[in-house]
Amino acid sequence: MRTTIVIGAGLSGLMGALALAEAGLRPLVLAKGQGATHWTAGTVDIWGGDERSPREALQEIGALHPHHPYALIGAHAVEEAIVRFRALTEAARYPYVGGLDRNILLPTSAGALRPAALLPVTMAAGDVRLGGTMLIAGFRELRDFYPPFIAANLAAQGMAARGVYLTIPPAFRRREYNPVTFARLFDNPAFCSDIGRQLRAQRGDATRIGLPAVLGLRDPTGVVAHLQDESGAQIFEIPTLPPSVPGMRLFALFQNAIEQAGGRVQIGSEVICGDGRDRLLTTVWSEAAARRQEHRVERALLATGGVAGGGIRTDHMGMVRETALDLPVRAPANRAAWFAPRFLDPQGHAIYTAGVATDAHLRPIGTDGAVVYDNVTVAGALLAGTDTVRERSRSGVSLATGWAAGRILAEWMA
Amino acid sequence: MIIPEDHIEQSLEASLDHCIKCNICTAACPVSAVTDLFPGPKYVGPQAQRFRHARQPSPDESVDYCSGCRVCNEVCPTGVRIAELNARARARLVAERGIPLRNRLISRSGLVGRLGAGPHAPIANALLGSKPLRMVIERTLGIAREAPLPAFSRYTFRSWFRRRRAPQIDAGTPKRQVVYFHGCSANYYEPWIGKAVVAVLEHNGFEVLLPRQRCCGLPLLSNGDFAAARRAHEENVAFLAPYALRTIPIVGASTSCTLTLKEEAPELLGMQSDTVRAVAQQTYDIFEFLRLLHMRGELRTDFRPIERTLPYHPPCQLRAHRIGRPALDVLELVPGLRLIETHAGCCGIAGTYGLKVEKYRISMDVGAPLFETVRRSGADMALCDSETCRWQISHGAGVVARHPIEILAEAYGLVT
Repeated sequence: MRTTIVIGAGLSGLMGALALAEAGLRPLVLAKGQGATHWTAGTVDIWGGDERSPREALQEIGALHPHHPYALIGAHAVEEAIVRFRALTEAARYPYVGGLDRNILLPTSAGALRPAALLPVTMAAGDVRLGGTMLIAGFRELRDFYPPFIAANLAAQGMAARGVYLTIPPAFRRREYNPVTFARLFDNPAFCSDIGRQLRAQRGDATRIGLPAVLGLRDPTGVVAHLQDESGAQIFEIPTLPPSVPGMRLFALFQNAIEQAGGRVQIGSEVICGDGRDRLLTTVWSEAAARRQEHRVERALLATGGVAGGGIRTDHMGMVRETALDLPVRAPANRAAWFAPRFLDPQGHAIYTAGVATDAHLRPIGTDGAVVYDNVTVAGALLAGTDTVRERSRSGVSLATGWAAGRILAEWMA
Repeated sequence: MIIPEDHIEQSLEASLDHCIKCNICTAACPVSAVTDLFPGPKYVGPQAQRFRHARQPSPDESVDYCSGCRVCNEVCPTGVRIAELNARARARLVAERGIPLRNRLISRSGLVGRLGAGPHAPIANALLGSKPLRMVIERTLGIAREAPLPAFSRYTFRSWFRRRRAPQIDAGTPKRQVVYFHGCSANYYEPWIGKAVVAVLEHNGFEVLLPRQRCCGLPLLSNGDFAAARRAHEENVAFLAPYALRTIPIVGASTSCTLTLKEEAPELLGMQSDTVRAVAQQTYDIFEFLRLLHMRGELRTDFRPIERTLPYHPPCQLRAHRIGRPALDVLELVPGLRLIETHAGCCGIAGTYGLKVEKYRISMDVGAPLFETVRRSGADMALCDSETCRWQISHGAGVVARHPIEILAEAYGLVT
């Protein structure tokens, strides 16, 4: 029976599960549904909250914020996670590029610029420093991706850009479209060739072409290469609204690696409670038809997300609860302190710092600082001591603490 | 029939508000991936539901193209119960417009089985194997002529069970009893699966009880005939409750039947009595039950090695139990046996969906990635816990598809 349980299937849970699977512990990942990966841009932000490079921010964070997850695990642990993540993506022929030395600015589907430390190679040619004229191309049928709007916003920021719409060849037309519909179309070489020819015809003086991040689910680097051959320009992807195709690729390559290493992923099974004694979590239950499913626990990694992801629930009475194991939560004392007066307040909203506090081994602790469960580690957005939205560190914290929490748990002796 | 107000209806309504329109369900939906006739779970589920009101005509016929696979529920990150919304919406459509004769027929698997199974089965099978006759049936009834129909058995599982000599249970060992819910397929089409279930349970020291039972009603539910499904479930609860109330487990190897007893019938029909709940709570899928025994250290593990690598397809109805992959968990214990989960979504058949002439092509397109995965595996056999999926896999991939319990019985060295 599988007694190593990972709760949550976002980036942190998947990284943790990979670490546990590679340690031979055959983890079972339980998750309410598909979520975090499918919602995100598929890039990794390590730090983008100020002008410092991610490396500088990591090295300095302990001095001011000793309880920040990065400070708890240390900069070397963040680097170790990045190395493993990059090896994973390279092995899956979907490599991530970038690193800690600087953030790369990438166009968003609103034509804004967004910093990312690591990005899939399919987005690399979006780096604004590359210069030249950009062509932004899309489809009228894909909602919430408007090339002229994106191009106009880029031009307003001093980047030469032009927006055009492409035509879906009649044989491939559908009634309804979402990013995944397009990704499946791009999986078809005939569709790709047609789009590539349209791009060549529309290219003009553009040296780079931005397309919505829907360039295939099976072999995106192959699709990009194909489109580059046909169009004669560099191709890059711009993340779309959910469902996120780059996120789906990430989920698939993680699931594959975890299962190859002996783990298993069980989606659709929300963990609703747990039970333990003597500082050990012994059982968790997941929601199932007719009755809950019981899972015996030897060790568990909790990565259910924060307020936005469902790992923390709040209500209008001011209650703040951790949803899976009912662990103590560190949160603003009362509801009046949850929000800053302005929606886009540079200081962020205090409620987003709510989370489970841990010791240096990422084990959950109570208000008295005592460890709640020795055999549980916590990772990702559920962790207290950080406002990952404001810091632009959400996926970096998930990646790094997920890996660290998995490694620590793997080394923990029952 | 108008569905009465019940707390399930209310909870479904409440779950609508949890939809954040992220489209993860649409991305996962196997039907909308291959046809424009179904716009996807988000549209016909939480969105169209806003426009469905009692005493007003249903706004959206495309819900009839939902196959009921429930993958939308599985992947939804916020817990919207899309599949239930769709099933209830279809039932309203049926209530407004009536049930076509074809759907009345194919949803009555018990009746069809009783007519076809028995000593005269070869005649029935020859008739249904006749291409000209299937053409006529397609034209008159709308059952696709290529669709995979199972062969009737020459004897029923129940007749075999009645006639066999029951094993002597050692008077010294504590008596453990279990009810077997065989469903229509094991009774009328594949009695060897019922025999394997009985053999495995008896090998583990159980006395197998076989109370009266009828079709679980799932085909009725998925064809929107809620009135008939209610009668079926009421009868089954009456037959099974005496055992459930004595906490005797009810075990089935047809994963869609067990899901119906556990959840689909009570939830979709709004049946909430204590006996309904007792039956639901005592019902187990066979490998879920065996895994539980193993968890308690009560499963015999005297397996012979089986040196094989086989593709395993977890059917949608098993995934809807939300219990993981119990067949993999148990069969992992057999030395040498290696099962590879297919990860290729749905087989397409969805019970009776793929039998319908207007949906046959869709069902084959939905199943195409699975058929390809099975074929590429190079194995001459695939494993799957659901009968209609097995028939579809055999039809689409051209390999034998068997129930994992058959492999387990083989590993125990049980001759069935």
